[in-house]
Amino acid sequence: MAKDMERLYTERLRRYITAMRNEKPDKIPIRPFVAEFTAKYAGYTCQEVTHDFEKAFDAARKCAADFDWDAVVANMVYVWTGLTQAIGIKYYAIPGIDLSQDTPFQYREPPEDTAFMKPDEYDQLIEDPTGFLFNVWLPRVSADVSPIDEPTSFRSNLSFLKGGMAMMKYFAAFGTQNALLRSESGTVSAISGILKAPFDILADKLRGYIGLTMDLFQCPDKVLAACEALMPHLTHVALSSADPDKNVPIGFWMHRGCVPFISHEHFNKLYWPTLKPIIEEIWSHGHQVLFYAEGDWNAHLKSFTELPDQAIVYHVDKADIFEAHKTIGHKFCISGGIPNFLLGFGTPNEVRDYCRKVIDGVAKEGGYIMDASAIIQDDANVENIKAMTDFTREYGVY
Amino acid sequence: MTKKQKIEVKPGTCIPWEQKLKEIPEISGDKTLTREVWEDIDALGYMYIWQCLLSF
Repeated sequence: MAKDMERLYTERLRRYITAMRNEKPDKIPIRPFVAEFTAKYAGYTCQEVTHDFEKAFDAARKCAADFDWDAVVANMVYVWTGLTQAIGIKYYAIPGIDLSQDTPFQYREPPEDTAFMKPDEYDQLIEDPTGFLFNVWLPRVSADVSPIDEPTSFRSNLSFLKGGMAMMKYFAAFGTQNALLRSESGTVSAISGILKAPFDILADKLRGYIGLTMDLFQCPDKVLAACEALMPHLTHVALSSADPDKNVPIGFWMHRGCVPFISHEHFNKLYWPTLKPIIEEIWSHGHQVLFYAEGDWNAHLKSFTELPDQAIVYHVDKADIFEAHKTIGHKFCISGGIPNFLLGFGTPNEVRDYCRKVIDGVAKEGGYIMDASAIIQDDANVENIKAMTDFTREYGVY
Repeated sequence: MTKKQKIEVKPGTCIPWEQKLKEIPEISGDKTLTREVWEDIDALGYMYIWQCLLSF
């Protein structure tokens, strides 16, 4: 039995890697980014899988065992709110505390005037990004961490102690989770490591989107210098968290850097020149990056073709997947493109029809991975997920 | 500290070994071991804050 499972794992890994290298495997790999859907399927609440990572792991493994999927993320409900609460982080709304126990966790971006970084603090960030995060950013985002110029406190000390130990506990548990996915269901852990674009980090967690859009006009040179200062750190984190075997890609979560959030000019002058060298550096070490292009990034496909062949796997959310395939499919593997609303509110026949359309239009020569458009939350219908899986297995054979 | 004297803090580092070295007596034993252990554990502090920013 164990030998059969290992054979299945090897077969799936080969299939997944072959597609990601933009080649033709034996079948189309299925790699759904299932988040709170796992809770719904396994009988947990959103609170349970968000606040108790062992339940989230269990739910992910149950789905992996019951569906014929090649790869899954070990825990797509990635933000363990037990950890964020231990640190005192204020920006998450936690199910069962700030939200109903059946609502997925939410990110609460502060209003412009209470952004976690002020507009006159660019020089401080540029001078020493790590110091800025510890001394300025963390005390602002945590209810417990004392500001650097104030006496420390019991709660502040505990934030670091509990936060550090909890983070180690969480990260260490992924090793066991990945091994269990492999031994219990022959499933590959789909990604390893994390990357965000310098511009997106400024927009998400430092200046906020509104503040940053003002800065683009009032101090564009500072924005560029800040992005440049973040580049080596984001590269370092991505490489240090990457798969040592170089099989699975680094997850890159793309947020606010596309038209119409910003203009073409700002993309070309700020976003892309401070992202492209990171991807090139990562690829020079032999690691692929999974561009999780949330929203519609088709306005920038031409820029992405500047990257070396195979350097990325390009995931399509709301954009036209056929246009994406036409523009970058000769260079990179494409994934996703099955609309989430269809998985939630369509019929199994409609799901099968859409999968057929995507497979016919994008996957003929390989280089395609079946997945929904966005992460699959608890609004997805179990029958529709089964339809997506079963149809791809039947129809997606080369 | 003037700019010339300032020790560069590289990615992966919170408190560079060169800075720590100035605070401790001369090492009589294995210098490499001492340096490596300092840097390995210092990197955990770095990981903590950057993972807070990126992942949580």
